[in-house]
Amino acid sequence: MPTISSPPELRQASPMTDPTSTSAATQPAGPHRYARRARHWSALLWVAPAFATYAAFVLFPMFQSVQYSFYHWDGIGPATPAGLDNWKAIFTQPELLHSVAHAFVLIIFYTVLPVGLGLVAASLIRELRPGPFNTTARVMLFIPQVLPLVAAGIAWTWMYSSDGLVNQVLRAIGLDQHTRAWLGDFTFALPAVGVIGVWVMLGFCTVLLLAGIGKIDPSLYEAARIDGAGRISEFLAVTLPGLRRELVVCTTFTMIAALASFDIIQISTQGGPGYQTMVPGVQIYRLTFLQQHVGQASALAVFLAALVLVVIWPIQRLGREK
Amino acid sequence: MRSLTQYRGTVRLAAVAAAGALLVAGCAPGGSADAGPEPSKPATTGVGSEPVTLKLLVTSGVDVPFFTALGKLFHAKYGNVTVKVESQDYAALTTNIAHILAGSNVPDLVRVPQFGNLIKDHLLTNLDPYAKAYGWDKWPQSQFATTRVGPDGKQRGTGSLYGAGPGFGLTGIYYNKTLAQRIGMTRPPATVAEFEQLLAKAKDAGMQPIMINGKDGGSVYPLQNLVMSYADDAQAVQDWTYAKPGARIDDPATVKAATTLQRWGHAGYLPADVNDIDQTRAPAAFVKGTGVFFPSGNWQAPGLDKAGAGRFGFFLFPPGEAGGPSYAMTASSSLAIPAKSTNAGAAAAFLDFVQTDPQARQDTVTLGGLVPAGPSDAPAPTAPAGSAVAATVSAFQALLKSNGLVGFMADATASIHVNSLVPQTQLLLAGKTSPEAYAAKVQSDYERDLGR
Repeated sequence: MPTISSPPELRQASPMTDPTSTSAATQPAGPHRYARRARHWSALLWVAPAFATYAAFVLFPMFQSVQYSFYHWDGIGPATPAGLDNWKAIFTQPELLHSVAHAFVLIIFYTVLPVGLGLVAASLIRELRPGPFNTTARVMLFIPQVLPLVAAGIAWTWMYSSDGLVNQVLRAIGLDQHTRAWLGDFTFALPAVGVIGVWVMLGFCTVLLLAGIGKIDPSLYEAARIDGAGRISEFLAVTLPGLRRELVVCTTFTMIAALASFDIIQISTQGGPGYQTMVPGVQIYRLTFLQQHVGQASALAVFLAALVLVVIWPIQRLGREK
Repeated sequence: MRSLTQYRGTVRLAAVAAAGALLVAGCAPGGSADAGPEPSKPATTGVGSEPVTLKLLVTSGVDVPFFTALGKLFHAKYGNVTVKVESQDYAALTTNIAHILAGSNVPDLVRVPQFGNLIKDHLLTNLDPYAKAYGWDKWPQSQFATTRVGPDGKQRGTGSLYGAGPGFGLTGIYYNKTLAQRIGMTRPPATVAEFEQLLAKAKDAGMQPIMINGKDGGSVYPLQNLVMSYADDAQAVQDWTYAKPGARIDDPATVKAATTLQRWGHAGYLPADVNDIDQTRAPAAFVKGTGVFFPSGNWQAPGLDKAGAGRFGFFLFPPGEAGGPSYAMTASSSLAIPAKSTNAGAAAAFLDFVQTDPQARQDTVTLGGLVPAGPSDAPAPTAPAGSAVAATVSAFQALLKSNGLVGFMADATASIHVNSLVPQTQLLLAGKTSPEAYAAKVQSDYERDLGR
């Protein structure tokens, strides 16, 4: 987990900004051992304010969530110990388990497609000369990141409705038999919600990957071209390896967004039709605020957090390997 | 460069210490153990003469101009009381209400979407003393059933009064008068079977027989009505809705009702994209002429009259057999007095005022789209003849006398609507669950919600 909060770039850059190392550098005299110990303590001192805030607003609530998950509690009245009841429910109530499965399906739409398409888009934009078209392409791709998700969710709901834009387009090109109320369809509701995720995440991935491509030494591209590399092999040999860190950040961020998704679903389908698009985020919200089962909600939330860690841990390892 | 990993030992120690501290302290979250029901404050009538600012927290939308108007009327009568209306949207209020009422800045009257644990946690004032002081206990009592809560904090319809309000919701079926005439409907159908014949005629004439919002639960209304019509009685549903111990919904009437609703879906009586239509789209489509019938509630009536005065009629859901009792679902637009309110006396006076003052009752109909109840001899508010509003008002008066008002199944538990009734009805209409499985699942979710 600490690896999430300290991406590799920061760690590399920190000798320049780390106050302890600069103060140590101006202190050449003194017994070696003593200096080391002093540095230890001064380092802790520097960390203290940030750590105190982190402990109060992140670590303590995390501990609380774990604690709540072992109680029956409505958020206001007295709590009664629940043992492992809340945890058992996650694995015995089909609705809760299905919602977790849906979150994994969303990874295809939130992570695989945006990162893949983002790579293609970034490589193409790199080849464009800086100019109005280049800027327009970037802005278009990034706009979904700027719009509030709630507004985007409502707009997509209209587009997906039986007389919405998507079906109008299908009718215009003669595909009448494929029109349907997308978000009300048992087969297509989850993919339809997923497409909203692709639209939101694509801009983020493209911009990040584009910035990464900008950092790749242009002489590498030149060398590749002299060696007779085509576009594809240039992409595989130069761009892809050069983007390793950006890819890790993209993948991590979008996977968390997929597993913890809430707003788009809550706005567009509320988990329906049936339970087809129910995700843990919406379940947690309902358990907490509608049913006031704070204990059950906490158990599911802690489970979800653990799941996120398990899923992104290998990706983090992959990014660190040299 | 020294990374934090070098302090791993220290960090680990701190984590273990923190976890240990929590365990050792064994501090269970939440408030102290049950302190018993709060002592009823002595109830006084009237508002005194001190200047008072009465803070109302209601849901955004039509409630705001409506309660602002009621507040002005109240201020005109009692000059020392100023009514201040604040609002939150329905979902936000549902989400926050417990914490607002437990906090330090509580309103004096609050629109309660769901009682939930508010009674158990002693966050609301018991209104029984005020009901006695103001004589509400002499009025027709069925109007207070939905806001009575038993001593266990769960069972409703019995016990003490915790909410009262200016008016009531009421469900039934709107019809497009032009289209209804075209299929030869001269009077409201007398039985479910007769209603089905009309649906078939509409279908044959190439019209959309029913417009309804299946995305957010409008389709649950006709289902509940069908259950009551087939049972020829509403007691079972009423008990279930009020969480009476032992109440069951997985009975033959529910299975038959689910079978009928599913058949309506298959026959094309319901829109093909029923599961994608929400409560904004359904009335809009109905006004535009899609749908001969629109099962919904009286809160739609002012909007329908505005869109086309005199074009839309309203009738109660037909009984199973000719001459049988009619039933409708109702919910009070109830306001409750938070236990921590400092102006409980003035708040109770406001509640009495909105139920009895003739002008307030008129505003309830015209601005709130709700039907006022109050004392049995209170003057009925007027509405233009032939309007949808007038039809809902007279239907409500009739049901109040015949005891035909029933709570919404959706209100049985806090989450039965979103977690069970809506998704299960969607599955039913899509043919993905059977009527038997439907009834069984709703019942088992209900028991789980209630911890039975």
